[in-house]
Amino acid sequence: MRRSRFNQGKRRYTRKSRGGKPRGGKPHIRRIFTPPGSDHTIEHRIAFLGNPNVGKSSLFNMLTGGHQHIGNWPGKTVEKKEGHYLFPRRIDNWIGGISRKPIEKKEGHLLLSDEYFSIIDLPGAYSLSAHSEEELITRKYVVEEEPDLVCVIVDATRLERTSYIALQALELTDNIALIVNMMDLAEKESIQIDRHKLEKQLGIPVLLVSAFDNSCIIRIKKFLYDALHTEKYTFTPAYLIYSQKLETMINSVSRQINNREILQDYPTRWLSIKVLEGDKWVISKLEEEYVLDDIFKKIEKLKISENFDPADEIPKRKYRALKSIVKKSVIGLEDFKEKKSDKVDKVVMHKFWGYPILILIYAVFFLITFSASGPVISGLDSLFISFSEIVRGWLLAINSPAFLTSLIVDGILSGITAVLLFVPIIIIFYILIAVMEDSGYLARSAYLMDIVLGKFGLQGTAFLSMIMGLGCNVTGVLAARTIKSERDRISMILTNSFIPCAATLGVLTSITSIFFKTKPWFAALLMLILYAMSFLLVFLSAMFFRLFLGKSDTMPLIIEIPEYRMPRLKNIFHLTWERAGVFIKKAGTFIFLASIVIWIASNIPYGASPQETIAGYIGSGLAFITEPLFGFDWKIVVTLLFGIAAKEVVISALSILGLLTAAWTTPQIIAFLVFQMTYAPCFATLAIIKSETKSWKMTAIGFFYPLILTSLITAAVYHILLLFF
Amino acid sequence: MNIMNKKISLADSTVNSIVKVEKITAGQKARRFLADLGVLEGVKLRIVKNDLGPVLIEVKATRVAIGRGIATKIEVTC
Ligand SMILES: Nc1nc2c(ncn2[C@@H]2O[C@H](COP(=O)(O)OP(=O)(O)OP(=O)(O)O)[C@@H](O)[C@H]2O)c(=O)[nH]1
Ligand SMILES: [Mg+2]
Repeated sequence: MRRSRFNQGKRRYTRKSRGGKPRGGKPHIRRIFTPPGSDHTIEHRIAFLGNPNVGKSSLFNMLTGGHQHIGNWPGKTVEKKEGHYLFPRRIDNWIGGISRKPIEKKEGHLLLSDEYFSIIDLPGAYSLSAHSEEELITRKYVVEEEPDLVCVIVDATRLERTSYIALQALELTDNIALIVNMMDLAEKESIQIDRHKLEKQLGIPVLLVSAFDNSCIIRIKKFLYDALHTEKYTFTPAYLIYSQKLETMINSVSRQINNREILQDYPTRWLSIKVLEGDKWVISKLEEEYVLDDIFKKIEKLKISENFDPADEIPKRKYRALKSIVKKSVIGLEDFKEKKSDKVDKVVMHKFWGYPILILIYAVFFLITFSASGPVISGLDSLFISFSEIVRGWLLAINSPAFLTSLIVDGILSGITAVLLFVPIIIIFYILIAVMEDSGYLARSAYLMDIVLGKFGLQGTAFLSMIMGLGCNVTGVLAARTIKSERDRISMILTNSFIPCAATLGVLTSITSIFFKTKPWFAALLMLILYAMSFLLVFLSAMFFRLFLGKSDTMPLIIEIPEYRMPRLKNIFHLTWERAGVFIKKAGTFIFLASIVIWIASNIPYGASPQETIAGYIGSGLAFITEPLFGFDWKIVVTLLFGIAAKEVVISALSILGLLTAAWTTPQIIAFLVFQMTYAPCFATLAIIKSETKSWKMTAIGFFYPLILTSLITAAVYHILLLFF
Repeated sequence: MNIMNKKISLADSTVNSIVKVEKITAGQKARRFLADLGVLEGVKLRIVKNDLGPVLIEVKATRVAIGRGIATKIEVTC
């Protein structure tokens, strides 16, 4: 049997496309760059690449102090993030450029000014194939943006699995270094890693660190500096030689595509390997220039006659090589050791006990959110009211025209404060989510929910998107990115607006507390029914969309379950900041504009009675339809219309139009509550649906589907209620 | 002796046993994703949980949950 070898030394193949740039060896400074407001002239771009949950973002934050998603859930970082730090340039390695006066002396080195290091935190990827958007982004970035250094981050406790992507990256680029993270955990498990042996076998610089150890900051910075500047490290990246049979096939593809016009940035050998692996993106690109049918025929023949599939053989060889590398450089690795997490999971993930625990945890979660945010909200409310009055008084004092005062105070200020009221509830909500996430429980709840959601044809990962949507639908739609199955992802994006967000809940509680003050039990029951209805709509719609989105693109559930970790304050802060930030940004942009538009609509012509304003006319027009269907008069219609801009506005619109003190019939109230739960996504959610699906058609469906469905349901509810009241 | 080498599907394997993957008959996309997570022919797995819902396995020091549907397409020997 032929064994794969790992070859040391320079690669034999050449990449014609790089236009004679030196291959391998030390990377060179490529860009001269002046960040605004500084005199730092050299920028290095370093990309952090690695599996989900290995600590890329933790290291990124540690180095750059930037704000980033961190949490114990594989696949949190869904977009690449850029941050930077400065590192002193040492004169003995200074390569030249602009001469500058030495400014400081340290450790015997003369310091010039600082150098600018940009770190790019890429989304976690299990491989560099094109399974998902994230992997495609990552791989394109590595090749097409040509970072000065690709830093692969791996997890010391799971060295073999997390290094798989490193072997793939080695086939793609030469400027590569390895950072082995989580050394603190490895030490606890008495795993010893020999850095030098790893370096020798892979032919690239290796550093062992822990993101929890602050002394690592300077070590990483020095490591990156040295990797880019000095001769301390040599770059002679190893590459894997596959079996004879595979190599022959790789060479024959390589010969065919060697003089290509397209994909010139990508190494020929890598492209050939990807063709053999059946990578759809690479194949379709190459087929613009070549007819590859011969190759596929050959592969088909091999599959049938010898039961040999290159697509299986290539990863197999990679893992075999990895196994031997790990064996040579790591001591203390124990196979199949039962960890503490496993013992906890015997109960928490138990087929029966898992569910009461799940319900209990989420019940406590919601109880804390609402009982803690109640007092904060009422405090803030009175604060905002007195602030508005101060502003009004001040505007009156400077004799501002009445309509301007009204625009500023009743329009902009009241619109924005309506939204700001939701900030505490959103923050508390996302803090608790972050705690669950960072501890590793969120991944388990997705596992448990897979059994329940499976009944509706959804995967457990969809649960995450639903839970996030309870805070704000924008984050809910974003969270759908962790869903691997494209069909489920689209259906979760389209139905996320059914999930009542914090603002919808606000409307619900304020209405029920006013109109059902004497019947708190009825109010609670009503809310429970409405929530159940919203989730039922999500589930049923998922089944409905299945009919259209087809079965072709199904991806079975395969998720990693991380180990339990003690939630860390730093992570929770970053996670919460990131998500609540989305909400606050929404308040600052959409709602600011919306509140101006709403004020204009309901105040022009200025001084007219409400019914004779623009909004009044639109509302009265629509009321011809809504009055008989749902019992909504023009005021209710206008309120709901404004709610499309942002659900938070509904409450303030209700009070401005005097609806909170008006006399409603019971069917009217209930129809209103049913309708406002699910009728349409707000503008911010619509915008995110568009950017996530990249399709106007989907965006239109995302808007009209809830609207039509909710109208039908509301009409039915209203007319049934009319029979009783 | 024969019992030791009996081929069963991953979905039917017993908890805490260590099994070796013999063959994966799932579609190419799923097969490749499994390979990315270290589940491929010739690899040894430990079954962590296998009752209701996805099968939980340990492979190369990580825990991976695999939907039951696809687990039936993974053939293993004890
Ligand atoms: N013990 C220990 N835990 C770590 C270390 N680095 C990161 N973690 C934890 O690992 C988890 C994941 O860290 P992240 O930084 O979010 O991982 P990531 O690679 O960015 O993950 P994705 O964004 O999903 O790709 C968090 O709970 C961190 O607190 C480390 O060095 N030691
Ligand atoms: Mg990350």
